Amino acid sequence: MKFIGISFVSFSLTAVVLANAYYQKKQFYPSVVYITKSNPSMAVMYIQAFIGVWILGKLMRKVFFGQLRTTEFEHLMERSWYAITETCLAFTVFRDDFTPKFVALFTLLLFLKSFHWLAEDRVDFMERSPMIGWLFHIRVLSLLLLLGALDSHFIIHAFHSTITKGASVQLVFGFEYAVLITVVVNIGIKYALHSVDLHSETPWDNKAVFLLYTELVMGFIKVILYVAFVAIMVRIYTLPLFAFRPMYYTIRDFKKAFSDVILSRRAIHNMNTLYPDATPEELLATDNVCIICREEMATACKKLPCNHIFHTSCLRSWFQRQQTCPTCRLNILRAPTPPTNNNVQGAQPPNAPLPPNGPNQFFNMFAAPNQFFNNQVNPGVNVGAVPPPNAQAPGAEPAPAFGPGPAQPGAVPPPPPAAFAAPFGFPTHAFPIPFPMPFMAPPPMPPTNLAALSEEELRNLEGHERRHVEARIQCLRNIQTLLDAAVQMMQQYSVASSVSSVGREPPASGSAPPAGNGGSSSDSVPNNPSAAANENAGETPSADQPPEDSASGETASVLPEKSPKSNNSDLLSEASSTSAEEEIRRRRLQRFLLQEQEQQQN
Amino acid sequence: MAGSALRRLMAEYKQLTLNPPEGILAGPVDEENFFEWEALITGPEGTCFEGGVFPAKLTFPPDYPLSPPKMQFTCDMFHPNIYSDGRVCISILHAPGDDPMGYESSAERWSPVQSVEKILLSVVSMLAEPNDESGANVDAAKMWRESREEFNNITEKLVRKTLGIPC
Repeated sequence: MKFIGISFVSFSLTAVVLANAYYQKKQFYPSVVYITKSNPSMAVMYIQAFIGVWILGKLMRKVFFGQLRTTEFEHLMERSWYAITETCLAFTVFRDDFTPKFVALFTLLLFLKSFHWLAEDRVDFMERSPMIGWLFHIRVLSLLLLLGALDSHFIIHAFHSTITKGASVQLVFGFEYAVLITVVVNIGIKYALHSVDLHSETPWDNKAVFLLYTELVMGFIKVILYVAFVAIMVRIYTLPLFAFRPMYYTIRDFKKAFSDVILSRRAIHNMNTLYPDATPEELLATDNVCIICREEMATACKKLPCNHIFHTSCLRSWFQRQQTCPTCRLNILRAPTPPTNNNVQGAQPPNAPLPPNGPNQFFNMFAAPNQFFNNQVNPGVNVGAVPPPNAQAPGAEPAPAFGPGPAQPGAVPPPPPAAFAAPFGFPTHAFPIPFPMPFMAPPPMPPTNLAALSEEELRNLEGHERRHVEARIQCLRNIQTLLDAAVQMMQQYSVASSVSSVGREPPASGSAPPAGNGGSSSDSVPNNPSAAANENAGETPSADQPPEDSASGETASVLPEKSPKSNNSDLLSEASSTSAEEEIRRRRLQRFLLQEQEQQQN
Repeated sequence: MAGSALRRLMAEYKQLTLNPPEGILAGPVDEENFFEWEALITGPEGTCFEGGVFPAKLTFPPDYPLSPPKMQFTCDMFHPNIYSDGRVCISILHAPGDDPMGYESSAERWSPVQSVEKILLSVVSMLAEPNDESGANVDAAKMWRESREEFNNITEKLVRKTLGIPC
């Protein structure tokens, strides 16, 4: 109503001005000159022109959009206010060539911009409207064609004008219309995607992905345009304040599109690698409705670790926002692999570098616990992590790998298996001697010659899915547990050796002559224990191995002390089969017994 | 095919029409726009809101059900968890990461499992048992805690108002 009143007033004023001019000058040309010379008349004419544009806008809106929806109108108003303030800012930069033509061009730009916004809103609405008629398609298509044609015309005009007359306000227009044409292209692509989706009978799952990438590419082009424009404006004129707000929003949108694409890719990747497709039986077992879209599930469904089943496309868009199960909120990134998965063993830990072969004092110091690994630990680890290709007898294979392992396994007391039960339970720092990294060779050894395996087998061995990685981590944890156990053992050894050396010093040449002789002793002594080991612990791997130069002070001092123990073969073999605490206790008892015996011998 | 949000809203509308929960009525304002719903909620029995019929407006985002809808009572309301302009403040209407009161655990936030029906049922139970820990309307929360009589008087007037009975 208000608008009708204003336009009526404007029209009557114009009529008055025209009539007055014609009444005074009687002829056409002089009256035109009269009007252009008179400021009040020109003001009325400008207002009339503005009203004319407004009416044209209303008309075009009626033709191309019909009734505007409330949200569309609100968007239009909001954006118009920003655009108008920015146009006023732009006027300040170009105040030198501030002419009516200049104002008219800016008005035209605003006018066209508003139609771009409306078209954008309208095409976005396509997806949400239950009924899209042919009129809608005709309107959108013709509007897009018209806007595209106008934009490109103005771009070419601006380009020619800049080339022939040098930089002017046409720079701004060229750039603005270039941005607008990207908007038109963007709307066009969206429209195409939506109409393909509308005409297909089944939901188009990948549409969202296409839309994401369109958004990303268009955002990128726009960002480049804005950055180039600001750079040019700074060089030629001054800082284009009026372009900063849209530039900021464009960059923000681009950033959002970029992170959306990344999140979406991650979600798709997770779904493809982590979660199995739901089988038809599983679908039948549930109520067969995807809780996200409330539609039946037939194909393309995924099962999460928590056994909830959803459409792949629904999950993808949800995972873009949150990495939880929509039903039970299980954090799917932290969730363990489903227990049904038996392939955990398919993973194999990367083979850590092995300790160098050959006599090495340092390694020999650790020789005993190392042996313990071979004997006791390997079977335990095999349960969890040794892959099928590596299924050789666990005791037979790993032994050669631990080259420096000495040949007195029988003498080595059974390990404290309590260390197994409590991973990370033993503080390693309690042990003063630093553990050399190469020593952390994982107990489960790879097949001796990898070359013999086919490409396929190797790939299976390596594994690249989540459960494989988890299996590797598990294996590393096992290793850490074993190392802790070894540390514990070494502490016991050092205690035992210090105690025994104190108690045994006088008879150094008595019951155990080879003790002080170091390297040379190992040749004669280990024969006895290794033979005992063959009897005692059947799985002892390195029993048939030639004895190494295990001549470090500690092992040497431990050795003779232990050798009598091999007589108690019954006790030992029993020990290896009984429970953990039992073994520890028994071992301690043995040690005390031995010490007592020795003291008695003394 | 129409967009997934539209299809889901249509499915929910159908479900609500076929099996309407007791004391709740909801549907799109007009069938051309499924993203604006109107709902009527009857005050739960045995509470100070008993007997009232409260109209509310539900606004759904384009990416529903990934994002929660907004709910606003279109009548006057006086309740600790309803802002004075009628907006409802309950945790299942908040997307994770958006916590206006800073007390909600993400377990009770919006997820696509929720639906219009569940929202409205939650609102009914919210009417019955206000959570005065998170005051969307601090005056109402204070009154609810300290002078229940006064609170009941106010809500009684509101109930009468919604029914068109003069006080």
